[in-house]
Amino acid sequence: MTSVVRSSALTLALGYIALGLVALVLFAAPLWYAWQGTIREGRAEILQADAQRLADVYRRDGALALKNFIDARLRMRIAGDRTLLLADAGGHPLAGNLDGWPNVPTVPGDYRVKIDLGSKGMQTVLVHVAALGNYNLLVGRDNRLFAPLEERFWYGLTGAIAVLSIAGLLIGVITRRALMSRVDSIRQTVSAIIHGDLAHRLPTHLSDDELNTLSRTINGMLDQIEQLVRGVRNVSNSIAHDLRTPLAELRSRLEELALIRPPPEQAFSEVDGAVADVDRVIRIFDALLRLAEIDAGLRRSGFVAVDAADLAATAVEFYAPAAELKGIALNFRADGPTTVAGDPVLLAQALSNLIDNALKFTPNDGMIRVAVQSRPGGSVEISVADNGPGIDDAEKAKVVERFYRGDASRGTPGVGLGLSLAQAVAKLHGSALELSDLNPGLSVLLTIPADSAPATPPAADAAASDPARLAGMAATGS
Amino acid sequence: MKILLVEDNERVSQFVIKGLQEAGHTTDHAANGRDGMFLAASEPYDVIVMDRMLPGDIDGLAIIEVLRKAGKRTPILILSALSDVDDRIRGLRSGGDDYLTKPFAFGELLARLDALHRRAQGVNHEIPLTVGNLHMDPMTRKVSRGDRQITLQPREFKLLEYLMRHADQVVTRTMLLENVWDYHFDPQTNVVDVHISKLRQKIDAEFERPLLRTVRNAGYMVTAGE
Repeated sequence: MTSVVRSSALTLALGYIALGLVALVLFAAPLWYAWQGTIREGRAEILQADAQRLADVYRRDGALALKNFIDARLRMRIAGDRTLLLADAGGHPLAGNLDGWPNVPTVPGDYRVKIDLGSKGMQTVLVHVAALGNYNLLVGRDNRLFAPLEERFWYGLTGAIAVLSIAGLLIGVITRRALMSRVDSIRQTVSAIIHGDLAHRLPTHLSDDELNTLSRTINGMLDQIEQLVRGVRNVSNSIAHDLRTPLAELRSRLEELALIRPPPEQAFSEVDGAVADVDRVIRIFDALLRLAEIDAGLRRSGFVAVDAADLAATAVEFYAPAAELKGIALNFRADGPTTVAGDPVLLAQALSNLIDNALKFTPNDGMIRVAVQSRPGGSVEISVADNGPGIDDAEKAKVVERFYRGDASRGTPGVGLGLSLAQAVAKLHGSALELSDLNPGLSVLLTIPADSAPATPPAADAAASDPARLAGMAATGS
Repeated sequence: MKILLVEDNERVSQFVIKGLQEAGHTTDHAANGRDGMFLAASEPYDVIVMDRMLPGDIDGLAIIEVLRKAGKRTPILILSALSDVDDRIRGLRSGGDDYLTKPFAFGELLARLDALHRRAQGVNHEIPLTVGNLHMDPMTRKVSRGDRQITLQPREFKLLEYLMRHADQVVTRTMLLENVWDYHFDPQTNVVDVHISKLRQKIDAEFERPLLRTVRNAGYMVTAGE
């Protein structure tokens, strides 16, 4: 399991929390600064206005009147939180709620000082000092007046930080849990697959989120792998069958030879038979190697510009005498520009297999039509059509499988790899064989798309490692 | 012919040496790359049979490349278990003249060695070919047997030309596929035989002595001999 520190969900959550905090501070700091400035100015103004009012009393009615005014205000408790002090030049208090002139210069101006307010203790107070003739006047205001507001501001800020952090962490943890549970289900599926059960698939939902998209992609990959593995399994089963049969014949032939020790003439004919058996095995082997070579996609590097009509004409001409022998009319028609990007050797082999196949299944005096036509869009269509018995719909998908031999092919020569090789060649050229009914007969269509040239070059390491693998399979002779 | 066989597998070597001896050729044998390189460079051979994968640090292709760089033009047939088309191409590019995949039929090897040897002696594509009373003029593309003109399709002409250029030699089906049709794969069926029998109809049918003969388990031969 991933440690908490290394969980990507949590890391992300912590990152967002930090980002949120920075944003909060960025928002609060200038606000606080501006607010403090405004409050300070406002207070100074209020204090100045207070001082002005007291100064007016002094100028109008004299110092005694001011003293009485101050006393009256303090007595009537309309001074509020104000600190008032009227002192003479020597600093002796004449009126006010301070016991003596505090540690403030007697020069007029605004000051921020700590004053012992008696019952309230030492407090930071903003004071305004004014000179009135021989007297000094001090008007102050307890700074705590705005304290609740500031407190609330700080509470708010702290609260916001706390909510942000806790919610962020919580979301991080929950996301991590959810993610881990989904990752875990993927992990379990994958480990089931590792242990050989390829039928498992990752759970997917309808949504398009990242994990779901990934799961769907992985499922697609698994489908492909399962199909390939099944193909390999089928092939190995078929190899087992199709190679075993001639090998068994060969073995019994040789064993019998050793046992009976027949006269030389008969022995030699048996040896000839044995060589023919071996040749049959080698043929199957070669066909399989060729198929493996095509499937690996290695030959794409050998794509060149090749005229499909030329290849078809050669193939038709090659098979013409064989067709003639069966009384089959083998027609050929080419139409339009038919140059494609492809592998000439493999295309020739595919064409040859298709015609060979048609020849096998077309009755005597039948007809085979080979056509190469250019299609709109630049693709080229190669078709081989016969008027033989055709293929059942149910069998159409099977005939391109390796080693599959339909009921109709019983008793005909071949190992059942012809159509699958043609199919592999079609696939290599970015296409697939299309089998359709002609009633009677079968039409096999191989369309080479205009952009049959490989879109992505085959991986260099695959090209380097695969021949070695094939060599390993084939090296039994040396 | 004097032949050098560079092959490490003892069984295959014995089989090839014995076969070549029976066919009237003398064979030197090297079981590793070093000896092979030494013999190939120092002795005059008519043709060399080179296994591709050899024990030791020198493989067949490397030997061929060295020989070619040293100016040796001896025809070389590469014998290999690597059957990929690309392997074949690589082998021929390194300077080999022909490529035969293991396992092989001895007849195929012998026929190819004969063909290589003859090719190395130079082919004049303009000189008329004659086998018995069968004549072919590659320039005018006229074929006649005795005093009778024979009309051949272009491919039939090519087939007969190849057979006549290798007169008195066995030519295998694979050699015909490769050289007449340029088919480097096994078409699985006996189509070559059908072509041959069609050709035979045209050149042999009304004559007492057949020139185009089937060599059992090997291929075909055009010959005026017995």
